[in-house]
Amino acid sequence: MSKKLKVRVTDLEEQLKRAVADYHNLESRVEKEIGNFKRSSLLSLVDKLLGVLDDLQRAENNLKDRGLTMAVNQFQEVLASEGIEEIKTDGVNFDPQAMDCVEMGKGKKNIIVKTLLKGYTLNGQVVRPAKVRVGQGGEK
Amino acid sequence: MGKIIGIDLGTTNSCVAIMEAGKPKVISSAEGGNLIPSVVEPAKGLVGDLAKRQMVLNPKNTIYSIKRLMGRRYKDKEIEKTKTMVPYEIVSGKDNMAAVKIGGKVYTPQEISAKILQKAKADAEAFLGEEVKEAVVTVPAYFDDSQRQATKQAGEIAGLEVKRIINEPTAAALAYGLDKKHNQTIAIYDLGGGTFDISILEIGDGVFEVKATNGDTFLGGDDFDRKIVEWLVEEFKKSEGIDLSKDLQAMQRIREAAEKAKVELSTVAETDINLPFLVQRDNKALHLEKKLTRSKLEQMTDELIERSMKPVEACMKDAKLKPADIDEVILVGGQTRMPKVQKRVSGYFGKEPNKSVNPDEVVAVGAAIQGAVLGGEVRDVLLLDVTPLTLGIETLGQVRTPLIERNTTVPTKKSQIFSTAADNQTQVEINVLQGERPMAADNKSLGRFVLDGIPSAPRGMPQIEVTFDIDSNGILNVSAQDKATGKEQKISIQNATNLSNEEVEKMKEEAEKHAAEDEEKKAKVESKNNLDNAVFGAEKMLTDLKDKLEDKDKEELEKAVKESKELLGKEEAGKEEHEEKTQSLSALTQSIGSKIHQAAQSAQSPQGETEEEGKKEKKKNGEETKEQAEEGEIVN
Repeated sequence: MSKKLKVRVTDLEEQLKRAVADYHNLESRVEKEIGNFKRSSLLSLVDKLLGVLDDLQRAENNLKDRGLTMAVNQFQEVLASEGIEEIKTDGVNFDPQAMDCVEMGKGKKNIIVKTLLKGYTLNGQVVRPAKVRVGQGGEK
Repeated sequence: MGKIIGIDLGTTNSCVAIMEAGKPKVISSAEGGNLIPSVVEPAKGLVGDLAKRQMVLNPKNTIYSIKRLMGRRYKDKEIEKTKTMVPYEIVSGKDNMAAVKIGGKVYTPQEISAKILQKAKADAEAFLGEEVKEAVVTVPAYFDDSQRQATKQAGEIAGLEVKRIINEPTAAALAYGLDKKHNQTIAIYDLGGGTFDISILEIGDGVFEVKATNGDTFLGGDDFDRKIVEWLVEEFKKSEGIDLSKDLQAMQRIREAAEKAKVELSTVAETDINLPFLVQRDNKALHLEKKLTRSKLEQMTDELIERSMKPVEACMKDAKLKPADIDEVILVGGQTRMPKVQKRVSGYFGKEPNKSVNPDEVVAVGAAIQGAVLGGEVRDVLLLDVTPLTLGIETLGQVRTPLIERNTTVPTKKSQIFSTAADNQTQVEINVLQGERPMAADNKSLGRFVLDGIPSAPRGMPQIEVTFDIDSNGILNVSAQDKATGKEQKISIQNATNLSNEEVEKMKEEAEKHAAEDEEKKAKVESKNNLDNAVFGAEKMLTDLKDKLEDKDKEELEKAVKESKELLGKEEAGKEEHEEKTQSLSALTQSIGSKIHQAAQSAQSPQGETEEEGKKEKKKNGEETKEQAEEGEIVN
C-alpha cells in the first residue's frame, strides 16, 4: 500500500471514529436535552401560574374570604405535589441565588425584612427568585 | 483540539455560542437563560443574574455597563457622562485610564469584563464537557485600538486566548452567511437594551470593511419600557387620583407588566395589563386594568424610533451612500422585534430586513462561526448530503407509501414489511417513486422490478420486506425479499439524490399546489381499501365459519357483502359512502363474531379470525417497523 493511501486510510479511520463518537455523544446529549426541555416547558407554565397565584393571594389578603383561602390553599397543594416549594425568606440572610433585592429598608443589615413577592423552587432549583426588602442596618 | 467559542460581550447582556457539527448553538447559562446580564460584583465574585439580583442592596459594589469604560481615559467625555449615571465609583487608574474602585480596591475594566468572560467560559465548558481555551470576542465597530486591546486583555485574564476580535456588525453579517456573497453593501441596525448602533459594511471576497458607523449610546429597549410605565402611571393618576411613582412596590409590578406588554405586542395587536390589588385607598383595594393596543404603543414610542433614524441618516451620509445602494439590511438587538421598528427600517432602506436569526443571539452566533473557521473545524465536518425528495413505493390503489422522507441525511437505510393484495398472488411489483405527492402517478418513477415465486397464500399473509438503502454516493439500492422463501430481487438506481435545485423546487411547489386535492384522492383510495378489507374479512368469515353461522346472520352478511362489492365497483362512489359501508359491515361481522365467540367459549372450541387481515407486527434489528404490514402491489 502506498504511503499516500495509508495516510488516507488513517484519515478516514479517524473520521469514522469521530462520526461514531459524535453519534454516541449526540445520543446522550439528546437524552439530556429532552430532560431540559421537559423541565423548561414545565417551568414556563409554572411561572405563568405563579403570577395567577400572586394575584389570588393579594385578593385573599384584601378580602379575607374563607372560601377564597380554601381555593388558594388547594392551588398551593397542587403546586407542592409537583415539587414546587416556596422559598423561605422570613428573617434569613439575603441570598442572591434565591432572592432578588428590590429595595432596602429599616432593619438588621443583610436580613430580609419583608417579602414583596414570594419565590419558588422546583425540585430544589429556583423557578422564580423571591423579591425582597433587605435591612440596611445602622439603626439598632 | 478544543472548540473556539464565540462571545458577544455586550453593554447590558452577553451571549455565548459554539459551532457544533457545522451548526451554531447558543449556550444556556447555569441560571437557565441564553443571555448573561453584564453585571459583576467583584468582591463576592458574583456575575450575571446573581449580581443583578443584589444590585439594589449593594449599588456601590455592583458594576454594570463596564463596556462603556473599556480602554477609555478617565478624562474622556463618555466617562464623564457615565459617571453621572452609575452609582459605583469611577477613578483614574494606571496611565490615567478609567477604572472602578470597590471597597478600597481598584479594578480595571478588563478585570471586570474578564469575570463575565469567565462565566461564559464556564457555561460553555459545562455544556461541552471539555475545557475551552480559545474564543472570538465581538466589539462595536467604533471601538478604537486601545478598546480592542483592552477587550483582548480581558479574555487573557479570563484564561481565554482571544483568537480574534471582530466587529459586532461583521459577526451579524457572518451569522446570515453574507460573507459568501460578493461586493455587497450591508446596513446593520442594532437596537439593544441600552445602546443603539448603525453600521454600514462592504464585503468583497470575504473581506469586511466598515464604511461608516454611528449611533446613540443612550438609546435602547429600556427607553421603550419606560414610555409604557409613564403612560400607566399617568392613566392611574387620571382615574384614581393616586401618584404611583412614589410607591416602590407598585412601580416594581408596573415595570414588569410594562415589559411583558411590550413583548406581547410584537406578536398580538392588543394586550391587557391587569394588576389587581395594586394599592390601597381608605382601606379599599384599587386595581389597575388597562388595555394597550399596538398602535397606541407605536404612538408612544414613535419619538424613540425617530431618534434612531437620525444616526442612520448621518451614517449613510458618511458612507456617501443612498438607501438604494444598500443590498442587505440586518436587524440586531431584542428591540428590533417590534414590528414598527422593522417597518421603519424597511421603509427607509426600501427592502425587507434579515431577521430570521434571533436578534439577541445573532452576534454571538456570528462570533462562533468565525471561531469555527479559525479553528479549521469546517474541515473536520464531514459534509453529508440529504435526499432532496421523498422516496417510496407504490401500494394498493396507486397510493405512494414513503420509506425515506425528504431531507434525511444519507447514507441511510430503511426497511418495511409489505404484503399481497389478492389471494394466491405469486408476484409483486415494486415501483420505486420519488416525489412529494401522495398518489403514485404524480411522482417520478425511478425504476420498477418484479419479485415472483411467492408461494400461494391468502392475501395479507406473505411478508415481503422492502429495503431502501442510499449509500454515501447517492446510489439507491432497493431490494424486496419474501420472508418465507428468502427469495430476493433488487435494483440499483444511480443519482437518486442528485437533482438540480430547480427540479427539487418545482416538485416541491407542485406538491404544495396540489396538496388538498391529492389528500382527497388519497383519502378516497384509502376508504376504498378499507372497505375492500372489510369485505375480505366478511367473506373469510362466511367460508371459515360456515358451519357455525346461524342462517339469519349468514343471509344478512351475504347481503352486506354483495352490496359492498357493488359499491366498490362504482367509480363515482365517494369517500363517505365507502366509510359508511365499511362501518356497517365491520359492525355486523363484529357482532356475529362475538356471538360465535361466546358460543365457542362455552363449548371450549377454537374459532376463526374475524379481525381484518394484513395486520402483522415485525421487529427488525431491535427496531419496530410500521406496526401494520401494508397491502402490496397488485400484479399486472
